[in-house]
Amino acid sequence: MTETLLDIAMMHSDTLLVRAKEGDQAAQGKLVQLWYKRIYNFGYKFFMDHDMAMEVSQKTFISMCRSLPSLQDNARFKSWLYKIAVNYCREEARKRKGNRSLSFDVVWNREAEDSPAWETSSQRFDNPERQLQQAELSDVLQQALHELNDEQREVVIMKEYEGLKFREIAEVLNISENTVKSRMYYGLDGLRKILERKNINKDTIGYEL
Amino acid sequence: MSYKPSEQDLMAYLYGELEDDKREKLEQYLLENPTARLELEKMNGLRHMLAQVEDKEVIAPPIFVGEHPSQRFWQAPYMKTIMGIAASLLVVILVAKFSGLSIRYQQQELRISFGDAPEVKTVSPVTQPAVAALTPEQVQDMINNSLQQNNATLQASLDETQKKLNASINQSLALNSGKIDKLVQQASTASEAQVREFAASLQTENAKLVKSYLQLSANEQKQYVEGLLVDFAKYLQQQRNDDLQVVRTQINSLQQNNDVFRKETEQILTSIISKVSTRSNVGMAN
Repeated sequence: MTETLLDIAMMHSDTLLVRAKEGDQAAQGKLVQLWYKRIYNFGYKFFMDHDMAMEVSQKTFISMCRSLPSLQDNARFKSWLYKIAVNYCREEARKRKGNRSLSFDVVWNREAEDSPAWETSSQRFDNPERQLQQAELSDVLQQALHELNDEQREVVIMKEYEGLKFREIAEVLNISENTVKSRMYYGLDGLRKILERKNINKDTIGYEL
Repeated sequence: MSYKPSEQDLMAYLYGELEDDKREKLEQYLLENPTARLELEKMNGLRHMLAQVEDKEVIAPPIFVGEHPSQRFWQAPYMKTIMGIAASLLVVILVAKFSGLSIRYQQQELRISFGDAPEVKTVSPVTQPAVAALTPEQVQDMINNSLQQNNATLQASLDETQKKLNASINQSLALNSGKIDKLVQQASTASEAQVREFAASLQTENAKLVKSYLQLSANEQKQYVEGLLVDFAKYLQQQRNDDLQVVRTQINSLQQNNDVFRKETEQILTSIISKVSTRSNVGMAN
């Protein structure tokens, strides 16, 4: 798992963190390299949009470099970083909600033209297996993830893909550990229901694979 | 057994973050409750499915963070307030200046006015002089007289100064025009002579240049031709020597051939002679 690799890297990056805190730009750059992929993927799964993910990760790292000196406990760097990212994600989501104009990519989606659209195409709805063959499984899963509400989605992504501990997620979101766990429970439950509605279960996955 | 695990415990168990004692309890519960076990398995299956989503590769763009904004003294909050007050005072002063506001406190009264400050009438009690001896007509006459006198003297002095000015202007004009004429003449003659001189010098210089150039090129040509001739003579000599050598070697080889040939013929002859003599001897013996 990349998380464990990253954790190992993090162990070694303790000195990196110290140097970065002192304002060493090379160390800050390395820290960005080390974490960029994680934060980007977090943002991508949150928004299902490359540009938004890039936006959020850049903002996160700029903010990280600026406010590194205020980080008290080096051991909490990970949850601290995700906290920044989550805050920017929420901010962007809020902005996007207020913004009524649609981006051109949403209006005219080339990929959607080429591939059968999951949600909307009704004439293909009678043949889920064929849909499954044609659409990327991971796209379907991400789509399902996207259908969760923001609170559950944050928790599921952080737990399932970013490998944070419940304690760390609680720290990031500033809520109790029990709340995190129940959000996780309902998130997973919701995902299962969404996937069932899409007629995707272990058997169809097995068939696909 | 009335134990029923909470959703939180289930989650913690699913992700292996449940404390040991609670875990044992929960595992026991799962053994006894197949439905709960099934649900947990479903969750686990979902997790496996979710794991199919792979990370997107991305290259971190360079993140530039400017220098930490150092807290300058004019950025300090108290300084900002002071600057604000100063700026608003300045604005007030400027507005006052342009609207002509004037505030004055004088003789126990405060006056605020816009536009030109009104003349403050400080009415001093006029002391009436006791010149009752003169009638208004007399006064008028006196005033008229003095006015006329003034006018006359002014006119006279004006005329005088006018005349003086004219005279001096004329004088200076005459003087200046004479000077300027002279200067112009001088300049023109001087320039003519200079031009001539310059042209002459140019011509001589040119002639010199051409002459020296011709001389130089003639010399160079002479040298070059001489060199060429010498080289050619050398070349001819060399050629002749080479030819001579070739002829000599050929003659030598001819001579050698001749010698060889002669020797061969001599040998052949001797062999023939000897053969003939032996044969004749044999014949004689037979």
